[in-house]
Amino acid sequence: MTREQLRQLVAEWLAAGKAVIGPVRVKPGTVLYTRLASADALLLGGWVRPANSIKEAVFPRHEVLYSYRVEGNGIELVDPAEEAREQIVIGAHPCDAAAWPILDKLFDWDYRDEQYHRRRAATTVVTMACTEHDEHCFCTSVGLGPEAERGSDAMLVEGGGEFQVRTLTEKGGALFAGCASAGGTACATTATTVAALFDPQRVAGFAREHFDDPFWRQHALACLGCGACAYTCPVCHCFDIVDEGNARGGVRARNWDACQFPMFTLHASGHNPRHAQGDRQRQRIYHKFYLYPEKFGEILCTGCGNCARNCPAGLGVLPLVSEIRDAEPVQA
Amino acid sequence: MPNLYKPDLMEVIGVRQHTPDVKSVRLRFQDADRAREFRFQVGQFGIFSAFGAGEATFNICSSSNWHDYIEFCFRRVGRVTEALWGANVGDTLGFRGPYGHGYPTDEWRGKNLIFLGGGIAMPPIRCAIWYALENRRDYGDITIVYGARTVSDLVFVDELDEWARHPGVRVIRCVDPGGETPGWNGEIGFVPTVFERARVPAGGAVSLVIGPPIMIKNTIPVLDRMGARMADVYTSLENRMKCGVGKCGRCNAGPAYVCKEGPVFTFEELRAMPVDY
Repeated sequence: MTREQLRQLVAEWLAAGKAVIGPVRVKPGTVLYTRLASADALLLGGWVRPANSIKEAVFPRHEVLYSYRVEGNGIELVDPAEEAREQIVIGAHPCDAAAWPILDKLFDWDYRDEQYHRRRAATTVVTMACTEHDEHCFCTSVGLGPEAERGSDAMLVEGGGEFQVRTLTEKGGALFAGCASAGGTACATTATTVAALFDPQRVAGFAREHFDDPFWRQHALACLGCGACAYTCPVCHCFDIVDEGNARGGVRARNWDACQFPMFTLHASGHNPRHAQGDRQRQRIYHKFYLYPEKFGEILCTGCGNCARNCPAGLGVLPLVSEIRDAEPVQA
Repeated sequence: MPNLYKPDLMEVIGVRQHTPDVKSVRLRFQDADRAREFRFQVGQFGIFSAFGAGEATFNICSSSNWHDYIEFCFRRVGRVTEALWGANVGDTLGFRGPYGHGYPTDEWRGKNLIFLGGGIAMPPIRCAIWYALENRRDYGDITIVYGARTVSDLVFVDELDEWARHPGVRVIRCVDPGGETPGWNGEIGFVPTVFERARVPAGGAVSLVIGPPIMIKNTIPVLDRMGARMADVYTSLENRMKCGVGKCGRCNAGPAYVCKEGPVFTFEELRAMPVDY
């Protein structure tokens, strides 16, 4: 499939009323996954990865859980209108798509989060195998890779100036039904090669065994506590629930939150279990590499490198790993 | 499918003010079917809300044997509790729950019970005390040591008197030095000190210790010295929560989601966990 043919297909999806999300250059130097206004806006190369992730397609940064109306002493609660609208994500990277099966487990943990799962079921993910990577990428260190198929319904693999379409699920197949180049799994690839840089078990072990280590405070000295790492992470999913409205009516909404904020764990009494930024940096790593794997058998990290790429202070998973290496040299 | 985050609507049927800044509120389910079928285990918690202000997490401090209403208790300290403070009989509040694991009251059968509480921590103990008194034959002697900074900071004071009238129940009240009033006939001192002075046989007993971190920190060594097994010493963690159902990531304490694996833990469990609460 040529670029033009792919763009034509995207135009058809848009014309059919589907919501299509893909990488767009929103301003010079900034590429974001965004709802496409037209097929022309879709960026089909020339970037390493967008500054955000595709998680907002299924887990929006702001979401109304229900609204309330007050009448005298009584209250009426109203569910938000169901979003049945079909969504297609195109041009995501494997490190974005892999995030969703990891998150499914949490959002289905005993209590099922219907809002999340409804959007998930209505969304088809078409990834593009990575042809480029940068110094922040480390997908192969967490068991993924530039062509990892996990979470993708179809994958586009660039080769010879064209895209080969690997359809991986029924949903993916339906999207490309009738395309000559669809189907098959083996085709020539120009995917990039990312070297494995560390063993995630070692990070887990460090976080567990050095829980109260002064290392974390030292590491976090540069941290501004801005939360950019969490917001741009494909798998960070912590949220807040707040009321927006007044005593007559309004909504109860869910907003993204981040463990780097001091308010995140602050008790009403004033006690804060994680009162120092180092405690909060540790939590981020501990949750991703130890707690989540213990609970769900999944590392809560896809190696996209967005944490370091977007951090104004040069922190993130990969910089931390090299610090750990310095702090705890492997015994010969 | 049901909306996980949508609360039950509750009618306020009673409000009691305990101190200048602590109230307890009784709630009844507006939905008659839900009221009939609702069950919980003492020690479980709920997410209570005032519409327009937001949600906050509290223990359900009524006994699980009471089927007409549930009760929660709070200190007026922020935006949500300020709104809850203004609730009057007839108003509508929100409730989600019950969440978490409660006290293993079946495992406690046949044992003496020791309840040690400080300040605003009485409510999550109170539900267990009532439960034990209502199933009196299942449990041995009951000792309750309850302290607060000052006499006016003690909550559920009338119930303390009521409990003390039950056979086999010893109630010891205390206030911090300087917190007493001229007519005070309770003890003066901190909970751990007063408890140690009382020479309660702790070996083989189940203890429930809830209070400010400093009280807990100083009470545990006393229990240790008095022969309590740490696997029989319980507390309820109070990590901040939003969802209550293991999604929002806020209540993580070391390797645990407090909302799902807690809030009730034994000190044997807590000693194996990093201090992240």
